[in-house]
Amino acid sequence: MIRKVLIANRGEIAIRIGHTLREMEIEAVAVFTDPDEHSLHVPAADAACHIESYLDAREIVRAAKEYGADAIHPGYGFLSESPSLSEECEKAGIIFIGPRPDTIRSMGDKLESKRMMKSAGVPVVPSWDGNPPASAYPVLVKAVGGGGGKGMRLVEKAEDLAEAMASASREASKAFNDSRVFVEKYIRRPRHIEFQILGDSHGNHIHVFERECSIQRRHQKIIEETPSTAMTLKLREEMGAAAVAAAKAVDYRGAGTVEFILDPIGSFYFLEMNTRLQVEHPVTEMTTGLDLVREQVLIAEGQRLSYRQADLHPVGHSMECRIYAEVPEENFRPSTGTIEIFEAPAGPGVRLDSGVGKNAVVSYHFDPLLAKLIVWASSREAAIERMKRALADFVLLGVRNNIEFLHRVISDPEFSSGKIDTGFLDRHPELFTVSTDVPVEALLVASLGGEKTVSGAHLPDVWTSGFWRNS
Amino acid sequence: MTSRSHGTFHASGRSIPFRLLEPNLIEIDGKRYRFYVLHNRNEHIVWLNGHTYHLPRAEKGALSHAAAAPASGEITALMPGKILRIEVKVGDTVAEKQTVAIMESMKMESALHAPKAGRVAAIHCQPGQVVEMGELLIVID
Repeated sequence: MIRKVLIANRGEIAIRIGHTLREMEIEAVAVFTDPDEHSLHVPAADAACHIESYLDAREIVRAAKEYGADAIHPGYGFLSESPSLSEECEKAGIIFIGPRPDTIRSMGDKLESKRMMKSAGVPVVPSWDGNPPASAYPVLVKAVGGGGGKGMRLVEKAEDLAEAMASASREASKAFNDSRVFVEKYIRRPRHIEFQILGDSHGNHIHVFERECSIQRRHQKIIEETPSTAMTLKLREEMGAAAVAAAKAVDYRGAGTVEFILDPIGSFYFLEMNTRLQVEHPVTEMTTGLDLVREQVLIAEGQRLSYRQADLHPVGHSMECRIYAEVPEENFRPSTGTIEIFEAPAGPGVRLDSGVGKNAVVSYHFDPLLAKLIVWASSREAAIERMKRALADFVLLGVRNNIEFLHRVISDPEFSSGKIDTGFLDRHPELFTVSTDVPVEALLVASLGGEKTVSGAHLPDVWTSGFWRNS
Repeated sequence: MTSRSHGTFHASGRSIPFRLLEPNLIEIDGKRYRFYVLHNRNEHIVWLNGHTYHLPRAEKGALSHAAAAPASGEITALMPGKILRIEVKVGDTVAEKQTVAIMESMKMESALHAPKAGRVAAIHCQPGQVVEMGELLIVID
């Protein structure tokens, strides 16, 4: 039995993990670095331990021992996919809530993971170490140790390959300290579809259906949903079987995600396996009723999965929008500051996983993900309507954010038609331009003072400056 | 809410009635809006029914320049409101940017400044008077 868990993370995911631990009557220990002294995940736990870095596995395991934690939950990001934390836990006799170190290591290596999946019969994108055949073009040069688009190059013609490999290698070397690159078939208009998997220590592996994550900016997901509009019963069965085969190939323990790309004619290819809880895990929870953090804890305790594949029946449609402190209209530049007004949306089928609230300071130290807004409804159409309403209700002022941009994206007719792929945002530059017109109603309320009392010196310039001057 | 929480807004040649119903709820021209306002150093941020507007602040001194056409020496009302005090009388000599009157709109006071140095030639308002935006108040020669 796990009685006390150290959460080796921060922000919304640390708070979300804490919610489940409290429900399971397990004590939570938070960790925090200097910039997070006043962050919400610190008071949300039963105890908190100051650390120098979220990336130092030894320091985190020491903190767990000092606070009497018998397990560590890594969340996502930081050390979740580094074998070092899993290894340090094994050495110290602390339960790591995640897969074994060898699984993390083999799945973290893109070439090795693809080799293993290929031999397990999971379809993989055709790839080559060096020169692909002429018929394979266009191709993509990718970094072996990479992610997030770094060290990636699209090559249309064979004569451009050498130069692209050299520059991708230099970029990969800087970003990942690993200069190895490889060449992969380029899939046009791909969808990003992933399957949630669960595996226990007794050889049971199941999938918990798909998540569609095709709406991406710079290879980062911003809107995710389940079920996918691309899915048919047959395709779901095939892809689900491939995901379970992938899990079995590494005797996967815990919650993980098998990512696929799906081309327009319905062929799918293994992309990678994420050996951790995924940012977008809530949409799976909303349609299945499972609590994936709870499942992770039970599996880490050595318990058997209490249901079989045939017992799982997803209901309705769920969608997640990632609320980032960034300005989409200005090339997604990150924004910092203090959140002065925070009014969360509520109502039926609305869930907000937030790491911030009123007075939270958003700094350059960490990822700009502030919160995740998740909705559930009986159909995709109703989920879109509900998400639009919830986004329109969400007031977050003091730090620039992408709430209105997300509203524009999900209001787009092509998005509502469900014909989406990873190039969606590139095809819709109009979503990035906003009118500079200020309606007279906004000028009126600006003159009222709102939250703060305004001295005379502050008010009149509203009336006399800029493009919106009316008088 | 007191009677001070309603009024008429004048812009673009339109007169728009409004009523503040709650601290963050206003009825403008018969339609209800939820709103929040933040005043930062460089801009006013207005959230109105799900849309956020960033209104840049003017350069320093814009207030006194805009208060009247500089050449004419006319000081007009910046917004609909009430004259609280008049700090000069006809015949007084005033310096440029000297405060000549204080007016109030909603719960906020603002100062009216002389657009240029000169003599107060005429005063067209009195304390307590409710004035419309753009109404001529004081003339400096």
